[in-house]
Amino acid sequence: MHAQSVKNSQILSIRSKLNQAYQAHTYRFAVISRFFAAIVGGYVFTAVFTALLSIILPLKKSDAVLLSITLTILVYSCVFIWVFAVKSLNKIWITILLTTSGCALILSLLKGWL
Amino acid sequence: MKESFFRSMTWMHTWVGLLVCWLLYLIFFAGTVSFFRDEITLWNQPALHNVQAPEQRVAQQRSQIISGINYLQNAGPESTRWGIYLPTERKPQLNYAYEKPRPEGKRFGGWQEHNINPQTGDEIAQTRDTRGGNFFYRLHFDLHYIDVRTARWIVCFASLFMLVALISGVVIHKRIFKDMFSFRANKGSRSWLDGHNVSSVLALPFHIMITYTGLITLIFMLFPYPALTAYEDGIRGLFNDVSPTNVRTKTSPDSAPLIAIDTILDQVYTNWPDADLTQISIRDPNKASATITVRADTGSLVRDQTPTLLFNGVDGSLIAKTAAQLTNTEVFYDSLTALHTGRLANPLLRWLYFLCGVAGCVMIATGCIMWAKRIRERMKKDQPATIGLKLVEGLNLATLMGLPLATCAFFIANRLLPMTTPERADKEILAFFMTWLAVALFALFKRARPQWILLAWINAIACISVPVINALTTNGNLISYLLNGQWALFSFDLMCLVFAALFVVQAKKIPTHTPAKTPQQRTRRSAKTKLQEQS
Amino acid sequence: MHELLQLNLCLLAFNCFALAKFNHYRDVFKTRPSDKLSKQFLIAAWISILLSLALSVVQNNGYGALLFCGYMALSVLILMIFYSFKASWVKIMSALNITVVMLSGLFLTVF
Repeated sequence: MHAQSVKNSQILSIRSKLNQAYQAHTYRFAVISRFFAAIVGGYVFTAVFTALLSIILPLKKSDAVLLSITLTILVYSCVFIWVFAVKSLNKIWITILLTTSGCALILSLLKGWL
Repeated sequence: MKESFFRSMTWMHTWVGLLVCWLLYLIFFAGTVSFFRDEITLWNQPALHNVQAPEQRVAQQRSQIISGINYLQNAGPESTRWGIYLPTERKPQLNYAYEKPRPEGKRFGGWQEHNINPQTGDEIAQTRDTRGGNFFYRLHFDLHYIDVRTARWIVCFASLFMLVALISGVVIHKRIFKDMFSFRANKGSRSWLDGHNVSSVLALPFHIMITYTGLITLIFMLFPYPALTAYEDGIRGLFNDVSPTNVRTKTSPDSAPLIAIDTILDQVYTNWPDADLTQISIRDPNKASATITVRADTGSLVRDQTPTLLFNGVDGSLIAKTAAQLTNTEVFYDSLTALHTGRLANPLLRWLYFLCGVAGCVMIATGCIMWAKRIRERMKKDQPATIGLKLVEGLNLATLMGLPLATCAFFIANRLLPMTTPERADKEILAFFMTWLAVALFALFKRARPQWILLAWINAIACISVPVINALTTNGNLISYLLNGQWALFSFDLMCLVFAALFVVQAKKIPTHTPAKTPQQRTRRSAKTKLQEQS
Repeated sequence: MHELLQLNLCLLAFNCFALAKFNHYRDVFKTRPSDKLSKQFLIAAWISILLSLALSVVQNNGYGALLFCGYMALSVLILMIFYSFKASWVKIMSALNITVVMLSGLFLTVF
């Protein structure tokens, strides 16, 4: 009886340790994924978005390019902050991927790359 | 949701900041110093100390240019580039330079310089080989010893993190205007937080501006995509479109006589009747592809692109000139770069820039010290420090105290190294990095409160010794600079003394490392935090 | 002279902002400010700071706005030092500040 309870508590403690380790891992994964989304995802989105902007702005060619170039930093930092402000990781990834591919699609249609 | 937003912002601010704070400190430090780039270069060249720009500066420019061309024709007719740099307020000497023959595989052979006292017309002998303020200027974005491209990418990402940290910092600092003027001394990490807040808030517009515009200066590397999509030939195409005076002609092997500079100057003065010229540069002189570029001062416009005229060097025709009227976007883009470099600044604005830059350094320094302090305060009395904490504390000591010391070493080396040392300029830089390395090694072994105090004293002594060694090795000193009105040199020496005083204050007053807390203090603290949570 | 006036107006403005705060007012005058007084300080502060900004911009265009940012930094630094370490000197500093504003203003209107 006594021995069994000791065994039980041992199992419990192992379980809770495993659980902790698992949680620590998912937490770490979530953090890394968030940083990845912010740095790389934000970069790709900004790149595609501003590239699109530079050809659709109704200005002289050099002006449009210069303006979209000066706006890149603003866009990037907004995306970066947004990634850390939103709770759900899935939502972040889906939004970034959708908007980026949307912009890329319009861009390639306009430039006739497809 | 709102609470979790603030929490995630705080979390991000802490970690994004911590990740790059030492690099940012280096960037801010070097950047702040390079606001006085020309003054530092002047200080590093004692031979130029007594040279003054002539009274009739603008009126003499024509004859200076003509004699420059004559000199360069004799000295370096085979060279690929010539430059004539006219005296300005900040650079008093007249400088003729031609490029030395390029070594195999190099894109630039270095300048052979010839400095002239504009008032007497004599050559200035005994200039020493030094990088001067340019070292800090390049360090600011090229980081030295690292491949330039890699270095700039690193700097770019550090600045991006800085911008993100700034924005999130504004978001999480709820009492931004309430606590604007309060600084509570001797309250442990609370004081460091106050210091962090005050130094960021007082120059907040500057911090945001300088980070944003800093990124803009490197933007073509970071985000070339708009230019790549809109132009067939990418960034080159954009540059040719925006600044036609930068167009490069292909070097031709055929020789052709250079046109008389008089005809060029006549055209210059018809275009700009009262121009204050700064620089004439000639590519491929005595070749069929020769071009002559003439640059003038921007005046007090917030513009970084100087007014430029580009001439054909053989027939003297005007190839391109900067547009008199820029479009709104061009003005916007150009003024962003101008804001960052601050080349246009008059002395007052330059000092204000410097003050804000120092505030930025303080902001970063207090930020990284605060992180370590907080962890220490939360730790139990005899809990061993983790590797991470030790690393952060070591890096704090090495960077925050090492960099000023290294800077002093750079200036001391400039005065003490013999004039004939081979590759003298590189040796000065070596002194800089060796000192820094020594501090870092020291921090590797010990990084507690006594070490901070010790290094603060060493820094204070080093700062004092810079003007002292200057007085011993050159003809001038602090008092003679004051009497002769040599303000650049006077301010340099004075600043060394001011920083020495600041380091003394640091050694005496500022606790940079808490001993383990007594239990009583901890309970008081926890009671306080509970109260805050309730309210 | 223009720069002196702009800087001092900016300093005055931030001084008023500080005095409009309960804590800082108490540190300086040892009494509580009335609500009306705080409000007056705030109004004076806004007038003064806008005046400073307007003067700098009129004087130097875009360059002036840049100068103004610098003035703000310098003023906040000065005030922070006074209020945190030498609150009793604030009265003297304010008097000096107001005199300089008056004198430089007078100088500029006369000449």
